[in-house]
Amino acid sequence: MSIQFTFRPRVPVFDANVRVGDLHYQPSPCRNREQLLAEMDRHGVEKALIYHAQTEEVSPIDGNGFLEEWLDDGRLFPQWSVTPTPDSMVQIEALHEQGRVHNVRLHNARAVGLPFRPWACGPMLSWLSENRIPLWIPLPDADADELATTLSAFPDLVTVLVGAHYTHALWVRPLMTTLPNAYLELSRIEPLGEVEALCAEYGAERFVYGSWYDRLAMGTMLFYLHHTDLSEAELELICAGNLLRILQGEGRHD
Amino acid sequence: MIEEQRVIDFHGHTGRLDLYNGVDDPALILRAMDRVGIDVSCVFNIFHPDGTTGNDITARFVKDHPDRFVGFAYVSPMMAKGMVAELTRAVDELGLVAIKLYPPYTQWDLNEPIWHPIYEFADDRGLAIIFHTGTDAHSHPGLLADCAAKFPNANFVSGHAGNVAEPRAAAIRAAQDYPNIYLETCSTFRTPGVIEQLVNEAGADRVLFGSDIALMDSRPQLGKIITADISDEAKRLVCGGNAARLLGI
Repeated sequence: MSIQFTFRPRVPVFDANVRVGDLHYQPSPCRNREQLLAEMDRHGVEKALIYHAQTEEVSPIDGNGFLEEWLDDGRLFPQWSVTPTPDSMVQIEALHEQGRVHNVRLHNARAVGLPFRPWACGPMLSWLSENRIPLWIPLPDADADELATTLSAFPDLVTVLVGAHYTHALWVRPLMTTLPNAYLELSRIEPLGEVEALCAEYGAERFVYGSWYDRLAMGTMLFYLHHTDLSEAELELICAGNLLRILQGEGRHD
Repeated sequence: MIEEQRVIDFHGHTGRLDLYNGVDDPALILRAMDRVGIDVSCVFNIFHPDGTTGNDITARFVKDHPDRFVGFAYVSPMMAKGMVAELTRAVDELGLVAIKLYPPYTQWDLNEPIWHPIYEFADDRGLAIIFHTGTDAHSHPGLLADCAAKFPNANFVSGHAGNVAEPRAAAIRAAQDYPNIYLETCSTFRTPGVIEQLVNEAGADRVLFGSDIALMDSRPQLGKIITADISDEAKRLVCGGNAARLLGI
């Protein structure tokens, strides 16, 4: 394969992890939907699942409201954030009644000491599981034991574990083995040879591409995925196919 | 090779760091390099406090693939007594061609006098020294300016280019002020716009591609150069032109 100083993806790309809006300490480089679409165009990204920075830093309820102005019927799809409080669940259930909830992202309640345990999150996880709504869980905010034990109690719930960093290297395999309905998002998987190794061990159908833009630069991991030993069919699954299946409620493996 | 440009990775590790599943498996390293056209990776071993053990590991590693790897020597002022002797052995007997320093493993800021014998050694021989630089006080890249002024024949490389915004800005200022300061790119932070910032503010001729292989895979780290919004000419310099000039290879 000839390597060049310019790169375009060979397969359709649906980014599973894009943040929009400003953080207090980091204004977003994209000020509006048009700028985000232009950045996606620059990297050959067709579609993206987006959540709002306000949901990460301050309020999932306000942030979900701010997300509305970024949505685009053809290319930008909502990832609503959720936390196990009555107000948050009322908002998500209302959106669900409108037919607009195809996935949600876990807000970091652990930051204030609320663990990801059934006694704290059980009703929320039951509702998601009953309604076949997949849950994105950022690993930087998570505890490995809480994930393994709590999610094992909700075996029908499909989850996407987001942002495994090299510092999570020892978590990944036990979690993927323990949680057969968990997917791994690949925005930060940088240990040597891990993409090929994990796909060989668990199958490419367990992984989704995400950039985690604008926390991270957009094109980097796409370039990586296009320069591995994966087959074209595996690449297509990771870059879009698996995510489409998850969003259609067909993400269960067991 | 990318479009006839030889690609040199300026930041790599030998040895193993099991907490992060980091192992210097040559087959995996070469596969990653070959997949994206990396011709040569610079490697060093910082995992042994004495320096000697790690330098021997690095030399053996390079010897097995002399056309694909070059070795850098590691020493530490925690072993101040034998520091220059080990550098002399590593360069003259083992054939290592530059120096790696890791201030977080020590109790001294990188510009303190205890480091100076290393800098004098590099200054005498015109060698490059790559430092881990970042947020911790010992490794702050702003301190490189002090070293670069005192030892003008040595080249000082800010590994990770400071990693995050404030130290990165200090690294850029130091590179702007001194022609013998370079900025190396590997970082898992991968903040949007960083490669563009380094090239636009310090100059494309002062930026070096690095990956942290084998702790990290070199492919995403090269990807952030390839997908950056900079000119192809800048990419040529960053990916290998500057490193070839700096190392004389």
